[in-house]
Amino acid sequence: MNCRWMPEFQRMNHCVPDFEVDEDYLLPASSSLRRHKKSAMGDEDVMELLWQNGQVVMQSQNQRSAGNKKSETMPSAASREIRSGAIEEEPTPCNLFMQEDEMVSWLHYPGDDNSLDIYLHNNDIMYPALPSSAPVTTAPSSLPPPPPLVTVPSSRPPIPPFKPVEEEPSQPKFANFLHFSRPNKGNLAGSAPSSSNKLSRATTQLTVVESNNRSAGEALQSRASRVTDSATFVSGANVGCRGSMSSFGAAGTSSAGREPETCDLSASSSPITGGSGASASVEPSSHKPPPATDNRKRKGRDIDDTECYSEDAEFEYHEAKKQSRGSVSTKRSRAAEVHNLSERRRRDRINEKMKALQELIPRCNKSDKASMLDEAIEYLKSLQMQVQMMSMGYNMVPMIFPQRYMPTMAPMGIGMGMEHVGMTRPMVQFPTVLPASAMPNPVHLGPRFQMSQLPVMGPARTQPANPTDPIMNSFPLQNPNQLPRLPFQDPYQQYINIPQTQLQQSQNQTGMSGVTSKASGGKDVGYHQPTG
Amino acid sequence: MSTRRSRQSSTGASRITDDQIIQLLSKLQQLLPELTNRRTNKASASKVLQETCNYVRSLHREVDDLSDRLSQLLSTIDAGSPEASIVRSLIM
Repeated sequence: MNCRWMPEFQRMNHCVPDFEVDEDYLLPASSSLRRHKKSAMGDEDVMELLWQNGQVVMQSQNQRSAGNKKSETMPSAASREIRSGAIEEEPTPCNLFMQEDEMVSWLHYPGDDNSLDIYLHNNDIMYPALPSSAPVTTAPSSLPPPPPLVTVPSSRPPIPPFKPVEEEPSQPKFANFLHFSRPNKGNLAGSAPSSSNKLSRATTQLTVVESNNRSAGEALQSRASRVTDSATFVSGANVGCRGSMSSFGAAGTSSAGREPETCDLSASSSPITGGSGASASVEPSSHKPPPATDNRKRKGRDIDDTECYSEDAEFEYHEAKKQSRGSVSTKRSRAAEVHNLSERRRRDRINEKMKALQELIPRCNKSDKASMLDEAIEYLKSLQMQVQMMSMGYNMVPMIFPQRYMPTMAPMGIGMGMEHVGMTRPMVQFPTVLPASAMPNPVHLGPRFQMSQLPVMGPARTQPANPTDPIMNSFPLQNPNQLPRLPFQDPYQQYINIPQTQLQQSQNQTGMSGVTSKASGGKDVGYHQPTG
Repeated sequence: MSTRRSRQSSTGASRITDDQIIQLLSKLQQLLPELTNRRTNKASASKVLQETCNYVRSLHREVDDLSDRLSQLLSTIDAGSPEASIVRSLIM
């Protein structure tokens, strides 16, 4: 039968019971798959997904009763999980997985919505609600401590086995899913809750499917197909876990509708495990499936699963969830998911912008936000200062050195100067113009500066680097030393320093408050509007 | 600036609190011409960052423009003059 699924861990009925050996983390999916197959093949026993050693082990119900050791172990494990989990679920596994909306689709199947609901509800695990509750109970006992996840009601039978018949074709698909989910499988035990959420969702779907199985063969088939779809969906969702889960679900349904748990477990576990990396070779090979048989449970999932597919999955799940029964938890989880999604998007946006800003800042090698913001602030200030300086200089130089410029500018000078809003050519002869000016000269500094400077500059200025030109002294040479230094090795510093020193000097002379304020305050000074 | 950020990040994990970031963002916001005029607390983080980027770019443009002008100015005066040096210094 489908031994090809035989995960290393388990072969439930027909295979060697390596379950126990293997491990705790058998890929439930795989095993379940197998089981399903088996059941489909001919085991009519309901394959229950039992958690064994934390893995979902599908075990045919019959076997359990038979006392198969394999099956027993498996089921017991599974059952344990189930029991340990919120086993409140009742025999109808369907209800268990309610939490996810996705399940809704499944739910529609004839069958067990209720069970699914409860099923889902109980655990995050995607324990597929097994319609047949009876066998489950027995199985669980035999199983070794199952992962907590499987909260599937103990009574519930394992995930309804997928009808292998129908599933056969889809089986491969399931396998694929399993691959995806596999990695998570191991997490059933208690992986990230978020992941489990996803899984549970997936599980829900599965469960639904499962429950459907119960109803009828056709139901199974339909469910199987659904499962497949969901599985596909899941895989599309990029969540490994989910995929597996669905596959499981499908498988489960096909078999007999009785092994929902098993199937789901595996499915869920796979997704969980695989969620993170879909690497799973999920398939039954969950060889090293993380112990979380509880994959079903959301928690089982790794956080990364959440991460990885939270985005995509959330979308899909989100929609699916909408249709869920509306259990409170579902709604809450839904809301939480939505919130998470939007949060994530918002954060992404912000991160993008931070990166863009970081690129703009020269020599910014900080990686953390706070220091990056600090640098951005300083850089911005220095840039502003630089612009101020440059524009001021641009405007001042002609004024400061009237001698030089006058000849050329004279004609246009005064008039123009007055008219100019000051930006480019202060051509005003400061001596004459200044006072009144209007000095459109841009910055309020300009006029003031000029006025005050001119008369006072020469003598008052102390740094008379060039006695030749008093004006020069005043303005440009306030810091004759500094000016040359302008070509800033450290733009930030220089900008910040110069203005201040100059300002101070100016102030000394004339109390150019304007200038000072310019330096300190900033932005308004620029001669030109900062592009703004 | 670093003082503001009282980083408690000494412990291995840089514990940059959200508060720090919020403070920094508000500081940044104050520097921005557009966002300050309206209402200081109005902007969201992403908006502040966006505006900052835009503003930095515009400042860059302005600096370039001014540099060009100063260069032109420089060409009009004799290079050896003090003004020239000033102008040159202004031109980054």
